[in-house]
This record gives sequence, C-alpha cells and structure tokens, in this order.
Amino acid sequence: MKPLNILYKGLLLAGILTVTTNCTKLDVTDYSEIISDNFNPTADDVASIIAPVYISFRPMWADWYGNFDLQEESADAIVTPVRPNGWYDGGTYIRMHQHLWTPTEGQPETLWYNCFNGINAANRVLSQIESGELPITDGKEAIVAEMKVARDFCYYELMDNFGNVPIVTDFTSNDLPQQSTRKEVYDFLISELKENIPLLSDEVSSKTYGRFNQWAGYSLLAKIYLNAQVYTGTAAWQDCIDACDKVINSGKYILESDYKSNFITENENSQELIFTVPYDETKAPGFIIHMKTLKPADQKVYNLQAQPWGGSCAVPQFIHTYDPDDSRLADSWISGPQITPEGEVAIDYIDSLINIDQAGGNPFNYGYPIGKYEIKMGAKGSLSNDFPIFRYADILMMKAECLLRTGKADEAATLVTQVRQRDFKSNPAKATVTGADLQKGSVYDYGYVKNGKIVTDEGGADIQYGRFYDELGWEFAAEAHRRQDMIRFGVYSTKMWFQHKPVGTYRTLFSIPESVLNSNSNLKQNPGY
Amino acid sequence: MNTKIPKKIRATLLLPLIALLFCQIGILQAQDNQTITGTVKSEENDQPLPGVSITVQKTGKGTTTDINGHYQIKATSADTLIFHFVGYHEQHVAADHSPLDIALQNASNLLGDVVVVGYGTEKKEVVTGAIGTVKSKDFVKGAVKDAAQLITGKVAGLSVSSSTGDPTEGTEIMLRGISTLMSSTAPLILIDGIPGDLKTVAPEDIASVDVLKDGSAAAIYGTRATNGVILITTKQFNKNQSKLQYDGYVSVQTIAKRPEFLDAADYRRLIKDGVAYTDYGTSTDWFGAISRTPVSHTHNFLLQGGNAQTNYTANINYSNWQGLLKRSNNANLRANFDINHAMFNDKVKIHLNAIMSKRKYWTGGDGYSFNTYIYRQALIRNPTDSIRHADGSFVTRDGYFYDNPVALLEGVDGENTEKELRLNGSITYQPITSLIFKLLASDNSWMQTRGYATNSSYPSNDANGWGKSYASRGQSNTEDHLLEFTANYDKAFGAHHINILGGYSYQDAMAEGFWENNWYFPTDVYGYNNMGAGDALSEGSAGMGSSKGEYKLIGFFGRLNYNYAEKYLFMASLRREGSSKFGKNYRWGMFPAVSAGWRISQEDFLKSSKVIDDLKLRIGFGITGTAPSDNYDALTTLNYGDRFLYNGNWVQGLSPTRNPNPNLRWEQKEEYNIGVDFSLFNHFVSGSIDAYRRNTKDMLYDYPVPVPPYLYSTILANVGQMRNEGLEVLLNFNPVTTKDFAWNSGVTFSTNKNTLVSINNDEFNLTQDWFTAGYTGEPIQTYTHRVQVGQPIGNFYGWKSVGIDEDGVWKILNKDNEVISIKDATEEDKRVLGNGLPKYYLSWNNTFRYKQFDLSINMHGAFDYQVLDFLRLFYENPRNAQYNMLKSAFNKVYNTAQLDYDLSYVSYYVENGDYWKIDNITLGYTLPLKNKKTFSSARIYASGLNLVTLTGYKGIDPEVNRSGLAPGNDDRDKYPTTRTFTLGVNLTF
Repeated sequence: MKPLNILYKGLLLAGILTVTTNCTKLDVTDYSEIISDNFNPTADDVASIIAPVYISFRPMWADWYGNFDLQEESADAIVTPVRPNGWYDGGTYIRMHQHLWTPTEGQPETLWYNCFNGINAANRVLSQIESGELPITDGKEAIVAEMKVARDFCYYELMDNFGNVPIVTDFTSNDLPQQSTRKEVYDFLISELKENIPLLSDEVSSKTYGRFNQWAGYSLLAKIYLNAQVYTGTAAWQDCIDACDKVINSGKYILESDYKSNFITENENSQELIFTVPYDETKAPGFIIHMKTLKPADQKVYNLQAQPWGGSCAVPQFIHTYDPDDSRLADSWISGPQITPEGEVAIDYIDSLINIDQAGGNPFNYGYPIGKYEIKMGAKGSLSNDFPIFRYADILMMKAECLLRTGKADEAATLVTQVRQRDFKSNPAKATVTGADLQKGSVYDYGYVKNGKIVTDEGGADIQYGRFYDELGWEFAAEAHRRQDMIRFGVYSTKMWFQHKPVGTYRTLFSIPESVLNSNSNLKQNPGY
Repeated sequence: MNTKIPKKIRATLLLPLIALLFCQIGILQAQDNQTITGTVKSEENDQPLPGVSITVQKTGKGTTTDINGHYQIKATSADTLIFHFVGYHEQHVAADHSPLDIALQNASNLLGDVVVVGYGTEKKEVVTGAIGTVKSKDFVKGAVKDAAQLITGKVAGLSVSSSTGDPTEGTEIMLRGISTLMSSTAPLILIDGIPGDLKTVAPEDIASVDVLKDGSAAAIYGTRATNGVILITTKQFNKNQSKLQYDGYVSVQTIAKRPEFLDAADYRRLIKDGVAYTDYGTSTDWFGAISRTPVSHTHNFLLQGGNAQTNYTANINYSNWQGLLKRSNNANLRANFDINHAMFNDKVKIHLNAIMSKRKYWTGGDGYSFNTYIYRQALIRNPTDSIRHADGSFVTRDGYFYDNPVALLEGVDGENTEKELRLNGSITYQPITSLIFKLLASDNSWMQTRGYATNSSYPSNDANGWGKSYASRGQSNTEDHLLEFTANYDKAFGAHHINILGGYSYQDAMAEGFWENNWYFPTDVYGYNNMGAGDALSEGSAGMGSSKGEYKLIGFFGRLNYNYAEKYLFMASLRREGSSKFGKNYRWGMFPAVSAGWRISQEDFLKSSKVIDDLKLRIGFGITGTAPSDNYDALTTLNYGDRFLYNGNWVQGLSPTRNPNPNLRWEQKEEYNIGVDFSLFNHFVSGSIDAYRRNTKDMLYDYPVPVPPYLYSTILANVGQMRNEGLEVLLNFNPVTTKDFAWNSGVTFSTNKNTLVSINNDEFNLTQDWFTAGYTGEPIQTYTHRVQVGQPIGNFYGWKSVGIDEDGVWKILNKDNEVISIKDATEEDKRVLGNGLPKYYLSWNNTFRYKQFDLSINMHGAFDYQVLDFLRLFYENPRNAQYNMLKSAFNKVYNTAQLDYDLSYVSYYVENGDYWKIDNITLGYTLPLKNKKTFSSARIYASGLNLVTLTGYKGIDPEVNRSGLAPGNDDRDKYPTTRTFTLGVNLTF
C-alpha cells in the first residue's frame, strides 16, 4: 500500500499546484461585444465612429414619440383622438393637445434624451479626435466642424423646446452639468455656428446628403435667427435674411416643380432638400408616421406589409383653412374613399371629429390622415422616405417672413408667390399673393369644439400677418414646423382649437423631464411648472 | 397511554388533539412469559434495520436486531417493549403478540440528524447556523413540479408559491423577504454539491433538501449565497438496500377558479337593456374552446445495488404533463446514474455521476410555452360569435387586440427541446481517519433548440406583414465547469472536537445563443423546418442574431468548527472570492462568517430534566454577496449597430453599449441570526425559533444618471441599502406513535419586515427618494407601485377611491383627504394603497398513519397583504362593449351607480389577499403483503394539490407573483392556476 499512498499524495499535490498557480486569473474574452481596450480605431473607422451622431436623429424625428409628434400634436393641425382601437394611452395625446403635459410625459422626455444622445456622441468623437485616439489624416478640420454643427442642431432643438438646458462640450468631464439660460444657449449656438459653418464642405452631393454641409449649416443659423425674438426677446430679422441669402446665392438648390417630389419614397433626389434625416425601410427604420395615421383598413389600400394602428389625423378646423384649389391640400392629407387594388372601398375619410376623448372612440374614418409622405404600394412598417428638415422653400419663406416683418411686404409677397406657383395648376392666378394679402389676419376658424361643433368661436382675423402664418401652415403642414410657427405668431398659448384651451404662456416651453431633474440636482424646472 | 409526558403537561398540550387520541387504546391482557420475535424495519423505505436496541421496560433486559432486522426477546404479555434506534422515533409497544413487526419512523424533525452544510455535513446537535432540513418522507406528495414544491410550507421563512398553471413553469421561491432591488432573488441550488436548478433532478429522485437560511451558514458560498443556499441530496445507496423501486402516478387538473364572464344569454339580455353589444347569433364557450381536463403521468424507476465497496444508484424518471390550456404540455426524461467505489481499505473513494435529461414542450409563443394572449382573447371574445364559418375557416373580426383565440391556438406550432448533460466525479483520499482530501470536477452542458411557426390560418399574419407564415428558430447553449479541491481535518481531543476545512473553487461558465426568423414562405407546410424558403430573407427583412459570453468565479475558502463536549459550539468561515463580472477596482471580495452555539441541555443542571430533551442557543453573523447578472457590465464595450448614410451607403455605427462602471461589485448582505433549537417532553414537541436582521449594502440598481456626462441614462451601480428583519418558528409535534397509529404535526410561521433604507450615496445622488415600478399595460398605462426610502418594497401607489358619483365617475381622495372627482385628480393625490408582500406566512402539516393507511394534510396561508386584481381592473368596467367583461361589471359600484368611466387604476381593485389553503391531502394504503417474493412493499395513494382556498380575494388565486419590485400584481394574462388530483403507486421489488 505504501507506494500507492505516495503516488496518490503526489497526484493530489500536483493537482493543488496546478490549481493554485493557473486559476486565479479573472480575465474573460469578448465574444459578441468589443471590449474597447482591445479596439484601436484607424482612419477607416471614421464613418462608423461619427455615425452615432446622425443615427440619433432618426428616433428624434419620425419615430415613436419623435419630435414630429411633439411639434404637431401640441399644435393646431394634427391631433390623436381616442379611436375604437384605443389611443387613450393613459391620456397622453389628450394632454399633448390640451397643453396639460406633465414632467413625466413621454414625448418631451424622448426628445430630451435623443438630443443629448446626439450631443454625447458628437462630444465623444471630438474628444477622440482631440486626444489622437481617432487618427484622421485628411479633412480633420471639416469633421470637427461637422460634429460641432450636428451638436448645435441638437442644442437648437433643446433650446427651442426646453429653453434652459445644460451646455456640455467636454466628453471627459464627469461633473454634473450646470443649467444655462435660453439666452446663453442662443449665444453659444450663434458663436459656434458662425465659427464652424465656413469650415464645412460646400459640396451638394451624395457625399454630403443627410449630413451638415455649409448650406444646411446656414439653414440652421437662419432658423435660429428667425426665432431670436422668442429665444432672447430681441429679433434678428436681418441676420436671418443674411443667412438665407447665403443659401439662395449659392445657387445649389431650386424649388422642385412638383411639391410632392420632396416627400416621395425616393425624395433624396429632390434638389429642394437641404437637410434631411434619411430613413430606409430595412436598413434604417424609424419612419412610422404612416403607421400612426393610417387605419387598419388602409392595409389593403396600399397592400401594406404591416397593419397600421390608426390614430392621428388633421384637425378639421385646419383643413377648412385651405383654398380648395390649393393642390397642397390633397398632397398633404388623405380624404374621401380609399380604394383597394381590387376596386373595393376600404374606408371613406370625412373631415370631422366628435370629441378627443369620445367614449368608444371617434370612428376610424373621422379626420383626414396625413398623406404628405408617399406610402408606396407594399410599404413596410417603416418608410424609406427621408424626413425633410430644411428645404429651399423654407429658406424662401424665412426670408419672406423677415421681409414682411421689416416692412417689405411686397418683396415678401414675391417670394411667397414663387413658392405657391406649383400649387395652383388648376387655377394659376390664385398662386399670386400681394403684400397687402400677407398683412391680413388668419382664415383659421379658431374656437372650441364640442361634439363636432364649434361652440366658442374666436376666428383668426386678429393674428398679425395671419395670412403669412396660414401660408406657413399650408406649405409646411405635417413637417413638424407648426408649434414653432404658432409660438412666433403668438397663437400657441392664446387661441382655442378643437378641444384645446389656452393654458398659459409658460407652455411655450416644455417641462424638463422629471427623470432628468431627478438625476441632476443642478437643474431647475422651467418656470410655471 | 404509553408516552412519558407528565400528566399535567400532557393535558394542556393534548387538549386540541384529543379527538385523535381515541384511537390509542392499549390492549392489556395478562399472559405468561413468552418469546417474542419479529423484524424491525424503517418505515420510510421498508428496509430492515440492524442494530436496533429492544428493551423490556420493566426489567431493563434487552437485545438488538441482527443484520436482517430480526430480533428475539423474552417478555410477558403485560410488558412493554421499547424499540430504540438513533435517528428514529422511539416506540413503546405492548408485548402481547408474536411475531411483532415494528416499523420505526425516521425522526428527521428531531435533533439527532445529519444536516448537509456547505462542503460537508454536520450532526444537527452541533449546527450553529439557521438551517432547514426536510427529508423525503415529509415531502409534499402528488404531482409536484419541482424540488421547491416538495418543501412548500416545511421550512420557516422560505416562501414557495405556485403562481402559474403553466406546465413548463416551476415554483417561485423567496427566502427571508426581498433583499435586493434588481438582482435575482433565486437561491443557490446545489445538487449533491454542484450548481443546478430546482428542476435538474426529478422530485422522486430527491432524498433530502437542506436550506441554509442565514448568513453565517451560507457565507462560505460567497457571492452566490445572499438568497440562501438550497442543498439537494439525491437518493444514495444505503447498506444492503439492493432494490428496484417504481413510483408512478396519473393526475388530472381543473382550473382553481373560473372567472365569471358574460355568456351569450347575458349578452342578449343586456342588448335588450340597451347595451351596445353585437349579437352574432350563436353561443360559444370560448374558455371551454381553449381549455381541457389535462391528464398527466409520471413514472420513476430507482434501481440500487452493490455492496459497501462498489455500488450504484440509477434513477430514471419520465413525466408527460398536459396543461389546462390546450396544447400546453411538458415532457421530461431524466436519468441519474451514480457509482461509488471504495478501494485501498476505503482510503480512496471514487464517485462518478451522470445526469442526463431531455425536455420537450409545445410552444404557442415565439420561443416560450403558452402564449397567454390566447387566454385573454378567450375571456374577451363575444360569446355570441362562432369559432368557424360553415366552410371551416376561422371567424375573424376587426378590433384592436381582438383575435379569435382558437385561430391563435391552432394557427401556430412550436417546440422547445432542452437537453442537459451533467458529468461529474470526485475522488476522496483519506490517508488517516481524521483527514480527507477531495477533488471534485464537473462539466455541465445544456442546450435548448427552439422552433416556432405560424400557419396560414394564424389571424395576425396580415397585421404583421408575414404573408402565409412566419417561422423562427433559435438555440442556446451553456457550459459550466467546476473544479473544487477541499481538505478536511476532523479530530477529537478528549472533549475538544475540531473540524477544519480548506478549499479552492474554480468555476467558468459560458453561454451562447443563435436565432433567426423568416417569413413570406411559399407554403405553410414547412413550418420552421425549412428556414431558407421564406422570401423575407432575400428581401433583407428577416432577422438573425447570435451572442456569446462568459464569466469566471474563483474562490478560496476555509472553515473552522470547534466544540467542547458538544456543549459549546463555535464556527468561523471565510471565503475570498473573485469574479470577472466585477469592476477592475473591486475584483476580489471577502465573505466572513462566525457563529456560536450553546447546548444548554448538555449542562449538568438540565441533563436530568424530564422536560427538556435538547435545548440549543445559536447566534451567528455572516456576510454574503450577489454578483451582477450580466457578464460585461463593468467594462467599456462597443458594438456595431444602427446604420448611417455615408456617401450613399448605409454604414454601421459603432457605439458604446453601456455606461461602464469600474467600481461595479457585489451587493453585500450582512446578516445577524439568533436562534434556539429545542426538543421537549421526550420529543413530544421540537422545533426552532430564529430571529434575523439582514442589511443589504452596495445594492445594485440601474441608477438614473444625467446624460451627459454619462452616455446612457442609467448605470448599474452599487448604491442602495435595504433591511429585512424577521422571525421564524418551526414546531414539530409528535403526539402519538404506536404500532397502529401515529400522528405527526408540524407548524411553521414566519414574518418579515422589509425597509428600503437608502438609494443614495456619495457618488450617486437622486433628488427624489422614490421611483416607480410595475405597469398596468394598455390602455391605462401607468405604474402600479412606488419604491420609496423608508418604506417596504411592494407598496401599491395610486388614487384612493372612496365612491362613485351618479354619472358613474370615480370619487377619490386628494392629497388633503378631500373627496374630488377622478377627472380633477393629479399625480400628487396618489398614495400608498396597500402592499403586495405578505407580512405573515403560516403552515400546518399533518401526517397520520393508521395501520396500513397513511394520510397527510398540508395547509398553508399568507396574511396581511394586498393583491391588485387585474381581471377586475380590466374587465369589471361596462364601458367598452367591444370586449366581453365580467358579469360583475354591471353591478353597482360602492352601491351607488354603475361605472361609466375609462379604465382607471384606483384602490377599488386592490383587494386583501389573505388566504388559507388546504394545499395537499394525500391518502395512502400500504398493501399487507403476505408473499414478499415479488414485491417487498406496495402502496397506493390518492392525492390532491391546491385543493381548497379560503380567501376573500375575488380573483382566481391569491397566491400571485411576489418577486421583483411589483409584487402582488395578479396579471390579467396569467396562465390560470389549477387544482390537481393524483392517483399513484409506490412499488418496491
């Protein structure tokens, strides 16, 4: 037995030694994630590394709770009433319509996080470039400028919607961000943009499509100047005109002869579009406006690959503002009987709504769905149309508004007429507007609606430059412009529409999300909330 | 009366039990001196017991049984024989006939057992931690789902609930309350020392279950031990027990309680009353159409043989269970092979074990068992509608989330198959009696294959844009390697007894997965078996994914046990453990424990006590941990994902996957436990009482952080603190034990108080001291619970309804306790509406034996808690005539008016959940075999599970989900729980 004993003891001892020397290491292998310590980027990785900045724009715009919803549902053109299939959703659409949103409301919160995701991503790239971690050989200056302007675009949305937000530009800092006032954000943006726009590419091609070139930069600058009075109390009409002129004088953009070219599935070919958020039905999904506005029965009309959920539609009072000869009515909204390829009427849309919270829901065919963005036959749950952020018509209209507001109504009318030319093919004379026209009030029949009828009639005649305001409504319906325009024309917190009543001027800013305040004690809620 | 209890005490104690004592009538007939012979067996397994001492009470003369359990003794018929054997109940029997065969009852509920502890066993007398032990004879009988259900109500402080009737699901267990915000509350389950789960081995294959409850007992398992450790011991060969045993049973189930929805006649009556229902002209019992009386059967074969040197145990278990809802099922084949071999004069022992199992079940959901959306559709479908058109096609209607449930049920097919192989072996080397080295290695691999497909009759193919059919396949694999080396030195020096354990443990685990889906198949004949045939793949819409990850866990541990004359007991242990899941600043943690005990009954002043048989005071402290669940949470990792249009091409972006946390570490729980074990009046009553306080620190939570500077709005960080305090009582009564009649009774009681102490620390600071949890779902879309500092987990938080106005609109209390309309209610008016975690648990288990009959009755209850009844919340509202609803929807609310308001989460639907269940009754009969040539024993039994529930709760079953941060939500789509009736046999050949 003895030798065996020793043998076993030896084996055990060997076992112990093996165990204690080899097995105290806790390192693991990265299989389906890349451990960043093991990743060294090269110049070839630049596209992938800057990508998250632009990727954040997709959920920011035409996706669920995107900025489209925020800008339109709080305004007077689009509403999401209760339907037979739901759309009560804890009352969120009713609160959006009635300006009774709370700091926990999903839509503003989503915008906040989407914007800061973009800002974070831009700051990260800037820090990687600065530290040399991301080696860029050519065009470093342009990339840096582009990241900054993309970041400014996010800050512009934050300034417009939340006003008093923290400005963070240093990715490496771990400090709790400090709040800036809306004016400080404005000053920051103006100085950053002025500095960086000239460094951007001036090319207009597939290389710059969906990215910030100089002209997208000037469009952004113009937009900020246009609303300077709202943001700072001081108007900057001439600065806006100057920025618009940069784009106009570049000669790189035109008004498309067909309004619809800007909104079709392959709208990337439109020469009117200056900056868009590109979507693709399979590779870059997130354009779901059609799913939210079409009704289940519409699936057969377009042979859709997903059944629409049916919800939002036009506010009937807004539809009533259109001139019947204005082709933008039919180009923006779906009305009347919808015919399937087999020739059957799937649904017949009428321009009417009962109450936003109607028990049992407003019938599916009540209210015109949004038809601006082409829904191709056989479309999927996400469209390939690119969402237009800035287009040439917008540049012309911004300039026109500044001219109008600075006493050059006739010059303004020329530009407005230019934009309207393509919209009155059945009655071309109607395309022309005069300076005097633009100074009239709005034709929007503002007033409170109950059970489908206006019960408190206010009208829009008292709105200064109301006609120009209506022009903005018709040209940019369902392009997420309406809230901003309503605020600039003083309508947003003063008028009643459908089942909205004025709540207070403080509602021109959204409340800062509760979750944001909860995690950063430096931030104060916006006044009034 | 033959028990030794003093008369006075007996009277007091037996008063409530008196009815059952009538059976206890001795026969006194004087006779001459005679020779009595017989066999003593173990009641538990009917095996002969050698070495049992038999004494004549009067004279003190005695003998012992031989190797076959036979004995022979002289006594007069007036004498009483005392049968005594360690670990068994003593029996006093009149020597009035011969042969006199005795079956001794295993006394596992008494002090005197061996208890399984971490990396070894201990005599129960010297255990200093809080450990609950249940042996197989005390298990819950019948159609038991998993190892935890076996011990329902048997271990004080361990709550076991069956909150679903899904045949693929097991039980939900929780030990000593919720001690975490987001980590798992599942205990560490060790099957003969190797990590597994409650379903790894068949319930019939289990010999005992030991639960290490307190920190001092569990701390030797370090970061896996916070939720306690459940040690499952499978049946092992005992001396001379070669046998083949068959256990089999068949069971049927019925729904625990069927919710009362409107039927076709109700619809027609209500239509006359003006309710806007549609009458489609027929009558359909939709629930009947998707449910059945399921029949399940289970067969277990246990084969044991060999000798002390080489022996084997083989257990093969097959079960095929049907679920209450049609098509749901679960078939298991589990085999456990065990070989022991001793060599070199027993100095070296080799143990080899293989567990193989295969599991197969129908999947009505994509990758999971029954899709309970079908159940919802059966509840809300119009009862006047038909299932099919005359041509056999399914009737479909437009509506939001409104589908024909039978079409949903028959429009899909799917199957999950799981295979598990667990190979392990150990070699023990004992160079001298007092020293044992053990090397254990195990390799566990698990594989799951999933397949799911819709066919062309599936009603949502169109809505989802799938063409004729959709199919998916998936696979998951895990591999787990464990290597453990331990050395144990055990020696007595006079009255000093020491035991020193030292060890090392290495574990690595890998998990990988793959899945794909496709649609637009040219035919639905392929199902999920020809994945490439769908056109969605060529179109670029089909999905595919795979992942792989791993972690490592390494521990060094040691333990010292010391006792002096089994009177003064002491234990100290320490584990140093490192995990690859921890951040680089906290790779290794220390988990110490210390406990001490004093067996007062061993002191001279109590040794001669007639009242106290055993009395032990225990006190312990231990630190355990919980590791984060994900493998790479501490690290900065990047992943390619969404695309960006770069010069006309869609390029994938590279983004960080999370906020990295280099300080990520284990959640730390410090637990104090004080307890007493006792046995009184000659083991008439025994039990334990334990009080504990557990403080969880560095509690893991997805902590909200500002963006920027963080990349994402939450970070997994160690921040909060939680406290649980409680009391547990276990009482076992042994009122009667005679040859013909025995009665054992056990009571467990536990209470726990939970408090969230903090969710802030220096690094992370929230301005609110609360956050919300739970979710109602559409269309109410609000949270159900609030988790708040200073409050217990589980608080329902919403509007307090106090009435209803004439228009059917809720009246609620606002924050100043004024009655307002719900239309004017704000967030500030919400308040705590109750709590979903029971404050008290009580169980009472009884086993009776009368001659050949045995009867066990297990009852348990939970008290002082609330349940949010989602069935009423959603279906007790007459407003939306699109969907069917409960009959009670048309009743007056608060005796005032019928409800006419949107679905709302108010206190009206928060009900008291208190219940008392007669959970398990089993009646067995052991056949009196004259000829034991074929069978050495045979028993038949009938059993019922979840039999009777006494409760005021209006929903199906008040035993609802208690895990997570929203306990007490009785989900409307819950697979209904069932009542089970079983007939079975136990045969030993």
